[in-house]
Amino acid sequence: MSTWHNTRSRILVAAAFMLTSASMLAQTPTASGTINATLTNKNGIALVFDTDPSGVTLGAAGSSNASLSFGTISAFGPLSPGVTRPSVTAASFTVRSPFDIQVIQGGLTSTSYTLSASLAGPAPTGLSYKVDTVTLTTAAQRIQANGVYDTDVAHNLDLVVSTASPGAGGPAVGTPLTATINFTATAN
Amino acid sequence: MKNLMMLFAAAALTVGMSSVASAQTAQGTLTVNATVTGSIQLVFNNDGSGVNLTSGAGTSTATLDFGSVSAFGALGSPFITRNVNGTTSFTVSTPVDVQVTKSNSSSANYTLTAQLASADATNTWAVATKPVTNAAATTITATGAYGSNTAEAIAITIPQATASGTSISNTINFTASAN
Repeated sequence: MSTWHNTRSRILVAAAFMLTSASMLAQTPTASGTINATLTNKNGIALVFDTDPSGVTLGAAGSSNASLSFGTISAFGPLSPGVTRPSVTAASFTVRSPFDIQVIQGGLTSTSYTLSASLAGPAPTGLSYKVDTVTLTTAAQRIQANGVYDTDVAHNLDLVVSTASPGAGGPAVGTPLTATINFTATAN
Repeated sequence: MKNLMMLFAAAALTVGMSSVASAQTAQGTLTVNATVTGSIQLVFNNDGSGVNLTSGAGTSTATLDFGSVSAFGALGSPFITRNVNGTTSFTVSTPVDVQVTKSNSSSANYTLTAQLASADATNTWAVATKPVTNAAATTITATGAYGSNTAEAIAITIPQATASGTSISNTINFTASAN
């Protein structure tokens, strides 16, 4: 009798446990909540440099801090791929590479932008830099007044090099010469 | 009334400042690198006293055509000089201008050499009276002046035994080296 009682109790406990478990599975507790998110859309524009298909491959293309290397240049010798020499005169020669600028805008009603450029510092002796037809100085100058957003716009970068020898007004030879050009796009 | 006008002016100024402040700009920086190297260039030009180049004047690859030449008959151009060497040969000659230009170089002058591209066992070639063969480069001048045309006489000495109608052709390679 005692054995039977114990066995029955165990069965009842087991059954009760199973029922409880089944009940828990059938009635999974849920909770809900609501988050009220507030988003302020900040408008703005960004400028990036892209490699032009006809030009030198840019370093850090697709960013706003890129580099363009003409490689070794001379009045008469071979040039790197993407570099052309549109002009050679007794006084100077010009090497050229196109590059692309893309200005992206968001949240603006502006339909175009104005592009300006300036040299970060004085140009190395015997060199001058041009973007399209504008000879750059350390003062910002307008390059384009009606740039189109969200597309690559090609510009020519010209490096005008004096043919004079070093020490006579010409550039240093055999050593890399560097200049930094700052571009600013302003929404119209 | 005066106060009202000042108020309008202040309002207009405020609007203007707001407009300037809200102009959206973006900046980018492009670093440009280049290494300049000195170079020189050689081109051929027509000489005022010579036969005009058939092609390539102003370039470094030109063609000079003497036309039909003979020891005693008429020549195709008044700018061809002819010397008959007894009964063995005759020489025809005409000047061609060579211009060497330098850039970004402190070189004071250049050395010019000439060499035939292929051997000619029959005829004798000369530039500025200096025999030119394909065996080795001949120095034409060791002190060439940059930036100006220098007339260099191109001469061919032809045996009189050469059959009529024989075509004579060769290429003269000129090299200018900065001193």
